[in-house]
Amino acid sequence: MSPFFHRLILVPLFGLCLSAGAAPLDEPLKPLPTAPKQNPLRVELGRQLFNEPRLSVNGSISCASCHQLDNGGADKLAFSIGFAGLPVAVNTPSVFNASLNFRQFWNGRADTLEAQIHEVVQSPSEMGSNWQHVVQTLSADPAYQASFANAYPDGVTMTNVQNALATYERTLLSNNSRFDQYLLGDTDILTREEKYGYQRFKEYGCIACHQGVNIGGNMFQKFGVMGDYFQVRGQLVESDLGRYLVTRDEEDRNVFKVPSLRNVAVTAPYFHDGSARTLEEAVDVMFKFQLGRIPSTEDKTLIIKFLKTLTGEWGGKPL
Amino acid sequence: MRISHRRNLALLGIVAVMLASTLLFLYLKSNSNQTTTYAESRDLIGRIKQLNAQWETEILKARIAISHNYDPLVTPLTEMTDLWQRFDTMESSHGRNDSPTWRASHDAYQKTLQEKTRLVEQFKSHNAVLRNSLAFLPTAEDDIQEQLAQLVDGDKLQLQNIATDTYDLLLSSLEFAQVTSDDKAADILLGLSKLAVNKERLPEQFHSPIDVLSNHISLILREQPVVNRLLQNIEAIPVSERLDDITHLLNTDQQRADAVDQRYHFYMLVFSVLLVLLLVYLAIHLMRSFTVIQRVNKALQTANDDLELRVEERTRELKDTQSELLDTARQAGMAEIATNVLHNVGNVLNSVNISADLVSRKLRASKAQGLGKAMQLINGHPGDLGTFLTQDEKGKLLPGYLNQLVDAIALEQQGMTEELAQLSKSVDHIKDIVATQQSYAGANNLMEPLHISELLEDALRMNAGALTRHHVKVIKEYSEVPQVMGDKHRLLLILINLISNAKYAMSDLGNRPRQMTLGVKIIEDSILQVSVKDDGEGIAEENMTRIFAHGFTTRKEGHGFGLHSCALAAIEMNGHLTAHSDGPGKGALFTLQIPLKTVPEPA
Repeated sequence: MSPFFHRLILVPLFGLCLSAGAAPLDEPLKPLPTAPKQNPLRVELGRQLFNEPRLSVNGSISCASCHQLDNGGADKLAFSIGFAGLPVAVNTPSVFNASLNFRQFWNGRADTLEAQIHEVVQSPSEMGSNWQHVVQTLSADPAYQASFANAYPDGVTMTNVQNALATYERTLLSNNSRFDQYLLGDTDILTREEKYGYQRFKEYGCIACHQGVNIGGNMFQKFGVMGDYFQVRGQLVESDLGRYLVTRDEEDRNVFKVPSLRNVAVTAPYFHDGSARTLEEAVDVMFKFQLGRIPSTEDKTLIIKFLKTLTGEWGGKPL
Repeated sequence: MRISHRRNLALLGIVAVMLASTLLFLYLKSNSNQTTTYAESRDLIGRIKQLNAQWETEILKARIAISHNYDPLVTPLTEMTDLWQRFDTMESSHGRNDSPTWRASHDAYQKTLQEKTRLVEQFKSHNAVLRNSLAFLPTAEDDIQEQLAQLVDGDKLQLQNIATDTYDLLLSSLEFAQVTSDDKAADILLGLSKLAVNKERLPEQFHSPIDVLSNHISLILREQPVVNRLLQNIEAIPVSERLDDITHLLNTDQQRADAVDQRYHFYMLVFSVLLVLLLVYLAIHLMRSFTVIQRVNKALQTANDDLELRVEERTRELKDTQSELLDTARQAGMAEIATNVLHNVGNVLNSVNISADLVSRKLRASKAQGLGKAMQLINGHPGDLGTFLTQDEKGKLLPGYLNQLVDAIALEQQGMTEELAQLSKSVDHIKDIVATQQSYAGANNLMEPLHISELLEDALRMNAGALTRHHVKVIKEYSEVPQVMGDKHRLLLILINLISNAKYAMSDLGNRPRQMTLGVKIIEDSILQVSVKDDGEGIAEENMTRIFAHGFTTRKEGHGFGLHSCALAAIEMNGHLTAHSDGPGKGALFTLQIPLKTVPEPA
């Protein structure tokens, strides 16, 4: 007990020394904030609901079926399997740090987490349910009824189910990545190569889109700025139209939300179509179609090394 | 009277309620909470405007590549949305959303904001790639120049020209980024064509960097006007104006509300003045009533004083009466004592009277008169006394007569002496009574050794005359009683009274034999009981409780002190006197019980 206790004390002390000794770096990439204070009753309720298969119409899948917390907040499939056993249209993004994205979904059609939940539950390819059914099912369960009554004055409602889930998701931040520690001033935590990787990341212009607190997730961008990615890839499907599906604006054809690069090393496969199975492939695609540049093999390796420092922690363990 | 009073009360209540509700109405009307929400609403709109300005600043910062972080272009919108939601909730709770003007201004704002958001998102995308390419241009150009410098073989002049062309193209592109004009665009297009031509002249290794450069320059040529246009459009979006419109609406509303408030304030003022007037009127009324009350009060005070005076007078009178009464009572008390004394003395005097009567009768019938007759006979024979005594018939009887006379006189004398002794005893008793009555209040029991039977004899003797007169037969049932310590006078008083009462009770019996039974006995070695029983008229049931009361009597000439004083005397001796009767005509039994105190016999 004693050494463990000492370590417990040391951690905050160490943190104090750090913050006192080294000022946070002023970079276009920002460290994750601490999770906002939430009503613990609602968080716990949200956690239960997140793992609740009865949200899907046939009780086959829950949120956690695709957003596996021990799997980087996503699954390893290019396309997750919906309630009917059929694959969905786009790759599942990580639920970690999702609350920090400026919009939800690849094409950014949801402004809030609540709106995103609202759609997923009703999506005919994902959970296939409807809210009336969900509220009915949950109301029939005395345990849920009690939890809801404790957490909300008006008990089980659609709004409260969505709010509880969103509240829980807002606590899902993968803090304490090595790169965040670096940003917070602990500059020794990255190796020389990783620091060079970050340098290359900035120099090659990855930073043009992947920046801010979520290293992405704060703007839309055309997939294929410097070349027609989709023509090269072939086999066009509707979801490749991206934001065009939302706005019907020609300007938005093939435009997607820039995804966050946090935990990118553990969330393969990549892109909305899940076409890049490895980080190397993804980086290659990015260089070719977004940056229009030809990096040296060494630079690419360095950048990938840097990308691996973005893996944060959940539940005290690295993802 | 009562009904009209009640009606007045009800009327007063109604008037009070009406006044209060009017006041409340005016207060509520003049104090609408719109003013408070007005300040908050304006504040919210102001903050949204500020955020909008901040948003625009961040856009410009992104435009000139000061910042690579696009988060600041997201956060203002998020906050604006939040603030707008708060504003909207507040306003809709105010019912403003019902007004079409409000609805229109809200919709206009939201539409412009949506449009602006759309444009900003586009700006972000285009600006990001544009800035990236612009930043990359010098490096891309360097890549080519470096390789050109390394080329040793070939046409020096041509190489020089290619380098210049490339450099010019870079410059044109950079200039284009600053001043986007069709001229510059034409220059760039020309430069790109030249680069394409030059590319063919250069070896294979140059193709890739040249392609990269020309791609990026093409991107700049494409994106820069887009970004510029977007910026212009963003600038043209009148979000701020829409917010001003809302503020203006708020102001107008507030002015209108203020006007209404003012009007109601005025009404309230008028109402207050009316109320004040009413109050003044009431105050005057009250003052008048107060004067009346005071006058009445004064009159009451006077009456009260008068009354008090009279009460005092009466009290004094009463006191006087009381003292008089006290005097009377004292006199009555004295009279009572005197009556008591006289009664007791009277009882004893009876005996005195009897004794005196007896003596005088004895004296009257005295044989001493015979002595006178004898002396006459002797005096009739002065010379021949001897002869007379011896010779004369009469003379010879004289000595014998004288001798008989001596005996008779001696007997007479003895009886008289006895009677006189009895007389002086009675006188002593009277003295005792008087002495006892004189020290009545503090009279201690005068305890002396006595024989209860002797005391009974004394008592009988004192009533002896009456007893013989009424032919009362006295039966004595005395048990063995030793000499006891007792208050002789009190005991005697009681016994005389009881015997006297018994005697009186049997006075109306006609020729029936009258019998009185006196009893003495000791109960449980501690109580001496003396009882007097008669077979006279008895005591009626209803009188049983009253016979010991002061003043109770059944006799015509009675005064009702006898039994009362007896009972008192019994109590004073720590004993008690009880009466028992089987009813009228069945006689009565009076029983005296006192604690037994025997005289210690000398050993």
